[in-house]
Amino acid sequence: MSFPKKPPSKALEVLQGLPRISLTNLRPEPGSTKHGRRRGRGQHGGNRSGRGHKGERQRGTRPRLGFEGGNTPFYLSIPKYGYNEGHSRRPQYQPLSLRRLQYLIDLGRVDPTQPIDLTQLVNGRGVTVQPLKRDYGVQLVDEGADIFAAKVNIEVQRASEKAIAAIERNGGVITTSFYDPISLGILIKPVPFFLRGQPIPRRMLPGEDMVPYYTHADNRGYLADPEEIRRARLALAQKYGYVLADLSKDELYHMLSMRKDRRQIFFGLAPGWVVNMAEKKILKPTDEKVLRYFSS
Amino acid sequence: MFSRFSALLLSGRGAAAATRFASSLAGESNLPRNLLLPSNLVDPSRTKRPPPPADSPLPLLRSCDADIPAHLSPVRMWVDTLDGRDSEPLGVAELHPDVFAVPPRLDIIHSVEMWQRSYKRISYAKTKVRSEVRGGGRKPWNQKGSGRARHGSIRSPIWRGGGVSHGPRGPTSYYYMLPMKVRVLGLKVALSSKVAQGYLHIVDSLNIHSPDPQDLMDAIRHKAWGDSVLVVDVGEDFPANILEATATLKTVNLIPAIGLNVHSMLKHEAVVLTLPTLQFLEKKLLWHDQRYTPLYPFKLPYSDFP
Repeated sequence: MSFPKKPPSKALEVLQGLPRISLTNLRPEPGSTKHGRRRGRGQHGGNRSGRGHKGERQRGTRPRLGFEGGNTPFYLSIPKYGYNEGHSRRPQYQPLSLRRLQYLIDLGRVDPTQPIDLTQLVNGRGVTVQPLKRDYGVQLVDEGADIFAAKVNIEVQRASEKAIAAIERNGGVITTSFYDPISLGILIKPVPFFLRGQPIPRRMLPGEDMVPYYTHADNRGYLADPEEIRRARLALAQKYGYVLADLSKDELYHMLSMRKDRRQIFFGLAPGWVVNMAEKKILKPTDEKVLRYFSS
Repeated sequence: MFSRFSALLLSGRGAAAATRFASSLAGESNLPRNLLLPSNLVDPSRTKRPPPPADSPLPLLRSCDADIPAHLSPVRMWVDTLDGRDSEPLGVAELHPDVFAVPPRLDIIHSVEMWQRSYKRISYAKTKVRSEVRGGGRKPWNQKGSGRARHGSIRSPIWRGGGVSHGPRGPTSYYYMLPMKVRVLGLKVALSSKVAQGYLHIVDSLNIHSPDPQDLMDAIRHKAWGDSVLVVDVGEDFPANILEATATLKTVNLIPAIGLNVHSMLKHEAVVLTLPTLQFLEKKLLWHDQRYTPLYPFKLPYSDFP
C-alpha cells in the first residue's frame, strides 16, 4: 500500500520567513492563562470581598458540615447497616474479558507462544492490579467467548465456566491458582522486587475458605487432581458441544503443559533464590536448613 | 538623521533584515539614500543555502535508523566541517521527520521554557508576622481612660515597626513537573523550528586543528552561523582542541547530548550537532511516541528503555 507523500506542514514554511524564535519571542497560547480572583481589590472585588452581609457567613463562624440547626442531622438519623462491614477482608479480582485478551494477543502485547501469566498481562498493560486495594488477582470473564480464537496456556486467579470452555475449545489450557498479597505484589512488579535484594519468598497456600475452590477440578484449580481435571475437561466439552483436542499430539505440548509448582512465583525461578540484576547473576542458597525451608 | 535612526530601528539585523521584512510587503527596498551601514552586516539571502536536492552528488553520510512513516519523507541537510575555511559541505544527512519536522507548537516551547525557569526556583523572601516581631506582648496602655485609640500590642500590622500581615512567608518552592511527553515534545519542536529557520547545522566531528578561540570565531563568522553557537556532542569526552578553544569564549558553548534543553537552544542562535548526536537524539526522542505507560519509575531498569 503506497501512501502519497504529505508535503511538509505549511506552518514550518511560514516559520522560515518569521524572526528567530528566541527567549524574547515566547508567548503562551492566547486564552490559556486567566487571572485568578483577587478579593478585596477594586469596585467589584472589594467592599465585602465576596463574603455577603453580616452574620455567620461574613464573620466566618458557621457551624460544622452536616449540622442542621439542632435537630438530628440526616447522617445521624439513618441507622447503620453493615453494607461495607469487613470490606477490607473481601478479596477482589480485576475482571479480564476474553474480548480484551483477544485484543491484546492480536496487537502483539501478549505473546500466546509462551505461558500467559499475570506478569505477562501486566507487562503488556492489559490489566492493572492493585494488591494494596484488596485485589487478589485477575478473573476471566466470559464476555467475548464467541469471538475468542487463540490457543493459550493461561493462568488466572478465578474463571467462569463459559470462559474455561472458550479457552479449552480453542485447544488451550487454563489453570486457576492462588497468590497471597505479598506474592502478588512481587508477581506484578518483578523488577522493583529484584532490586530489593531479598530472596524470592514461597507462595502461600490458600486460606480455609479458598481451598475448596482451588481443589475443585471444575474450576481447574492448581491443587486439584490431574485425573479429575481431565474428566472435567471431557464433561465440559460435552456440555458446551465442542470436540476436545488431544494435547499430547500438539506441537506446543511442552509449552502448554508448563505449570508452576504450588510454592513457585515465577517460571524458572525457585523460592530462596536471589536475583542480581546489575551483575545479571542468580544466587542460590547452599545451607541445608535454608534449602529445606524453601523447598518444603 | 531621523531617517537613519528609523532605518536602524526598522532593521533588527541591519539593512538585510530591513530588505527581508520590506520585501514581504512590497517588491522594492525603501531604504533612504543617505543610510550609513556598518561593514560587518550579514545578508541572509546570501548565507541561507537551499536544502540538498534529491540527486545531490555528495554522499549520504547518515540515514535514519528508525522507520519513517509512509506519508512522511526524511529531512535532508548538509553536513559540514567545523574547522577550515572551505564552505563546501562534506555530504548529506537524512533526519527523522518525527523529530526534526514536527509542527511548530510555540505554546509548548513557552510552557517548557517557563517550566525550566521556575521548577528550580526557590524564593527565600520571608517577612516577620506580628507574632515573630520582637516585643509586642504587653498591652501598651489601658483599654479605657487614656484618650488614645485602643491597641493590644505594639507590633500589630497597623503600627510602624509592626509585623507584615500578608507578606511572603518563608522559602517558597515553585517546583512542578510537566508531563514527560510534553517535555520530549518541547525538545522536538525546538529542534524542528531550528531546522525550519535554518539555524541547525550538522558537523561530522568536533576535531579542529587549532585550539585558538579566534580561529573558531573566524570559522563561525565565515560560515555565517550567527553570534552564538551551541555545540552538542554525544558523550562526556570532547577533543582537547575544542575544549580549549571554547573555554574562554562566552558565546560558543559545548554541551553533551543528554544536557540538550529548550532554554539553551533558544538562547543560542545556532545549534550544531554531530552525526553520532543525531542517532542518540532520534533514539531517545522517538521512543516516547510508542512506549507503554510506566509501571515503576523509569529510573529503575526497563528492558526496552533507550
